[in-house]
Amino acid sequence: MAETAYVPTKEDFELLTGRDITTDKNFASQSYWKGVAIIVTAIILLAIFGPILSPYGYRDIVSYTDEAGKQVVAKGISPQIGHAGDGAFDQYTFLFGTDDLGRDQWTRTWHGARVSLIIAFVTIIIDMIIGMSYGLISGYFGGAVDAVMQRIVEVANSVPRLVIVSVLAIFMPKGMGLVIVALLLTEWIGMSKIARAEMLRIKEQEYVLASRTLGAHSMHIIFKQILPNTIGPIITQVMFSIPTAIFTEAFLSFVGVGIMLPQCSIGSLIENGFNNITTLPYQILPPIIVLALQMLGFNFIGDGFREALAPKLEDM
Amino acid sequence: MKKYILKRVAMSVATLLLIMFVLFVLVRIMPGNPFPSERMNAEQIANKRAELGLDDPVLVQFGRYMAGLAHGDFGKGTSLYYGAPITTVLGTCISNSFRIGGLAILIGTAVGLILGITAALNKGTFIDAFCTVFSILGVCVPGYVFLIFLQYFFSYKIPFFPYFFDSSRFLFSSVLPALSLSLFTMSTVARFTRNEMVEVMDSDYVHLAESKGMYGNMLVTRHILRNALIPIVTVLAPLIVDLLTGALVVEKIYGINGIGKLMVDSIAGEGVDYNYVLALGILYSALYIGIMLVVDILYGLLDPRIRVASSKEGDA
Amino acid sequence: MSKNMFSRRNFLKLAAATGSASMLAACGGGSGNGGGDAAGKGIGVMLGTNVMSLDTDLATDGDSFEVIADCIDGLMQMDADGAAIPALAEKPDVSDDGCKWTFHLRDAKWSNGTPVTANDFVFAWRRIVQNQGEYAYMMSDIGQIKNAPALAKAIVAGEDADVTTLGVTAVDDKTLEVELEVPVPYFDSLMYFPTFYPINEEFYTSLDDGTYGTSPDTFLSCGAFVLSDYTPGTASLTVTKNEDYWDAANVSLPSINYQVVGSSDNALTAFKSGSLDVVMIGGNQVAAAEEDADLADKLVVTGAGYMWYLTFSQTEKNAQGGMLANKNLRLAFTNAIDREALVDNYVMDGSLATYTAVPPQFAASASTGEDFSADQEKFKDYIGYDVEKAQKYFEDAKKELGVDSFEFTLIFGNNEGDEVTKVAQAIKEQIEANLSGVTLNLQAMTKAERLDKMQEDNYDVALTRWGPDYADPMTYLGMWITNNANNYGFWSNEEYDKIIADCTTGAYVSDYDARWAALYDAETLVMQEAVIAPLYTKANANLINPDVQGIEFHPVALNRVYKNTTVA
Repeated sequence: MAETAYVPTKEDFELLTGRDITTDKNFASQSYWKGVAIIVTAIILLAIFGPILSPYGYRDIVSYTDEAGKQVVAKGISPQIGHAGDGAFDQYTFLFGTDDLGRDQWTRTWHGARVSLIIAFVTIIIDMIIGMSYGLISGYFGGAVDAVMQRIVEVANSVPRLVIVSVLAIFMPKGMGLVIVALLLTEWIGMSKIARAEMLRIKEQEYVLASRTLGAHSMHIIFKQILPNTIGPIITQVMFSIPTAIFTEAFLSFVGVGIMLPQCSIGSLIENGFNNITTLPYQILPPIIVLALQMLGFNFIGDGFREALAPKLEDM
Repeated sequence: MKKYILKRVAMSVATLLLIMFVLFVLVRIMPGNPFPSERMNAEQIANKRAELGLDDPVLVQFGRYMAGLAHGDFGKGTSLYYGAPITTVLGTCISNSFRIGGLAILIGTAVGLILGITAALNKGTFIDAFCTVFSILGVCVPGYVFLIFLQYFFSYKIPFFPYFFDSSRFLFSSVLPALSLSLFTMSTVARFTRNEMVEVMDSDYVHLAESKGMYGNMLVTRHILRNALIPIVTVLAPLIVDLLTGALVVEKIYGINGIGKLMVDSIAGEGVDYNYVLALGILYSALYIGIMLVVDILYGLLDPRIRVASSKEGDA
Repeated sequence: MSKNMFSRRNFLKLAAATGSASMLAACGGGSGNGGGDAAGKGIGVMLGTNVMSLDTDLATDGDSFEVIADCIDGLMQMDADGAAIPALAEKPDVSDDGCKWTFHLRDAKWSNGTPVTANDFVFAWRRIVQNQGEYAYMMSDIGQIKNAPALAKAIVAGEDADVTTLGVTAVDDKTLEVELEVPVPYFDSLMYFPTFYPINEEFYTSLDDGTYGTSPDTFLSCGAFVLSDYTPGTASLTVTKNEDYWDAANVSLPSINYQVVGSSDNALTAFKSGSLDVVMIGGNQVAAAEEDADLADKLVVTGAGYMWYLTFSQTEKNAQGGMLANKNLRLAFTNAIDREALVDNYVMDGSLATYTAVPPQFAASASTGEDFSADQEKFKDYIGYDVEKAQKYFEDAKKELGVDSFEFTLIFGNNEGDEVTKVAQAIKEQIEANLSGVTLNLQAMTKAERLDKMQEDNYDVALTRWGPDYADPMTYLGMWITNNANNYGFWSNEEYDKIIADCTTGAYVSDYDARWAALYDAETLVMQEAVIAPLYTKANANLINPDVQGIEFHPVALNRVYKNTTVA
């Protein structure tokens, strides 16, 4: 996979920013990028193809019926590669072991990664658009507009999430759609707060004043001139929102809102693994490692974008 | 400034009242019964509802609730810790959660700032890479997983800390939960501090200050950190609210009677306890609104230009 | 009345039968690992949930009942086998018609020094009737105390009701007289249920409203232990030996420290670390303990009483227009479930696969001593794991209904134990594999919401449970009569209703054996029609420090009793 992975090159960034990144002492080296690209590509590919590559379905319970007619289930098996042996399930390969119901953890981990990635990306992208616009507008206009908009945020953020979600669940069918809506309801607030804070910091700067004096339209100033300057902290926030979204999805299952069983998500896998953390520690490791690798990859990419995109004054 | 703060406080109180009403209505729509019962017949349950006045119009109920609140009466539990006044239960939970959460905030912010500053000052080195990986792992590994490890090694393998929370040895038995709760804050603060400082360090006025011969601690604290603090304060504020209002799984594992578990039990326990959900919702909103108020005031202190702008508009 | 009457099969046998444990009595002490230094100190005991209330009128959960029973005695108490033996009452006299019970109280004191009198019972019982809470039905429907049913009706209707007309009187300080509407043969065994415990009136009325039982200062003991450390909502509480207890000479345990533990995995580590001496584990932790040489001999399986079962909504508005009203479809379901696989693979704590509408091992006949449901194969014509039979029923159902594919939703609680979520998923796989054409969607929700949905009759199939309140099959069979609040399937059968009515207030109340046989007929009807699909009877897998001996476990009323517990 390493060979086929796309590796960003110097030219890519010149196109975007017109900066010569090789002379930028702060920018990452080529080999570092290679590593990151490999991680991210590998994980996304596995999330797509991992379950297909496995002989088991995500909901298949591996079992056999013994002579006495009893069903014996391959539950709680630690990671193994198929081998000859006396054990009933020795010939099976379970790269990540099996879960409590006798289902292959490898398949479920990648299935979960897929579900979680979809949920996280959809929510984060929508949240970013809503949150950023909301925060920037609120911060830019200030005064009464800001006051009203911020009070709305306070109301939206103050009602405990579990209350909103249980009420929502009356009006919507449970499942992934409801999870996404539930996350959308509150996750944008963090983003808007950051955008607003950045706006408050930047809007009194000279170049904004100059623009305004020259009669530029407010929306032009906000989205064309200020937005690029706020991208740094927003990207950091976006990156940190991904695990929050993934864990929040798992938390919602307390009120019965979450992925429909027998489907799974990274969050629900971590929670299930947690129930056996000292007896079967291998159960919790794959989802956490996959999540951490994903996050490492995304963060490095985020950093790259941040440093490449954020225009400095000399670029203007 | 004084007038601005007064006005801002008045708005916050009004928002809180609005939130209370919204919450009051939402709670009554939630699925689940305030008198969960498998042995009472429909007439008995209706009788219990009538005793509590749950069949009156919502506005009447709200008025009665507010009147009780004016006397510090939050009512009694119906599906949770029934019989005891809510204030008794809430008192203990608040004191536990606030103290453990407070400790976690202190540890998280202090260590996070130190890590972030060190990483920024040593950008591109091994220390920087370590900080990045640490903060990413810190948001990917849930605090409760970390707590299980701490508990396993420092309460079981090496029995130094108590295995369960013991309110008679408060500080000593708070170490493990506070440490594990601080992980997320630590990572977030470290990450934001590092990224913000790197950005600020690259800005013209820092270069200018440097060229004027400013260096070392003076430069870091007076120019760089101060400017980097605005986004940090912004992300820290909601984290503070989250930490103070407890964490369900950590409380369950360590046997702490805290707000997090109380909240989940009141919604997803045997029934839906209107009075507990309301009391906790009000507590959460008040905390959130209060902290947002402090943040807005802090912005002014951190960046004089924001202060001028907002107080001007506030007075207008 | 023979003492044998309410003895239950000893759960030690169950433990041996499932091969998961040897008895604690057989364990030699001093095996090193495990329980900490309990000697002289008292024991650490795990609670599964927080204690909700110490007020007998308000408490509804087993953990609260256990702590209340540590501190307050009833007229009767349970012996190791679960039979009623004298406690605060020396012995009851029963009138010839069985309708008047006279209890003679012994000299016992409350922890504030005042004597326990008959009036303490009168006060407490009237209060239960007045408040009409969860267990008020123990006074009326179950206990059949004179005027209790009429009072209950009047009170919930908001009419004037004088609770002093309740058929319970303090003849003098030491004599309590109880009149019943109809003879209740097991009335004495109800007396160990916390709803029937006394409260000191003078003390209660001296407290501020709503503060009774919220701290050691606002709670009086007359039992083996006194409350020494407790606040509502706490995750840990302590009771210590009551030196003024009437039977203090026979109590040797100095104290019990209760600790709420949230997960089975954490309970296992807590036990290994020695911080707790008695814990309950489940699922993989049982498997791990069985394989661990140090832990295997400390594992004790005890009956928890609860029976888990599937209930099918038979009304038109659910299940594709009332498809589950079809008897053959329900029979197909109940025959397509491999219950042994469920308990062996997923529940794993020694729970028993159950094929009867009344679970085994809690209700034994007074005349023969035989367990009502000892024979689990008696309904094998209607229930079992037989795919061929299930498919035959299914074909019949399809023909009768004229439909080829079914899509139902199974609702279950996600906060009712890890094993419930596993069992629900396993049932889905079993049913879909064995009955092709059925899709069973899973819908997890909180227990509160599940109950709500069932009570509003807004579900297709539900995974639910019932625990016995008293040691008689009626605690289960009483649920399936027409319009009973727990008859969530809305099944209705005149013949069945008549049998149950005869057994509670009619022809059979004074003929024990005839009643017993009639109850059996009633159960047969339930099974023939597959009103419910019984799944398994829950057990608890406990880990107990071998130094701690003599904890008495019961599937009914009080799950654990510590009065005779000793620490080596």
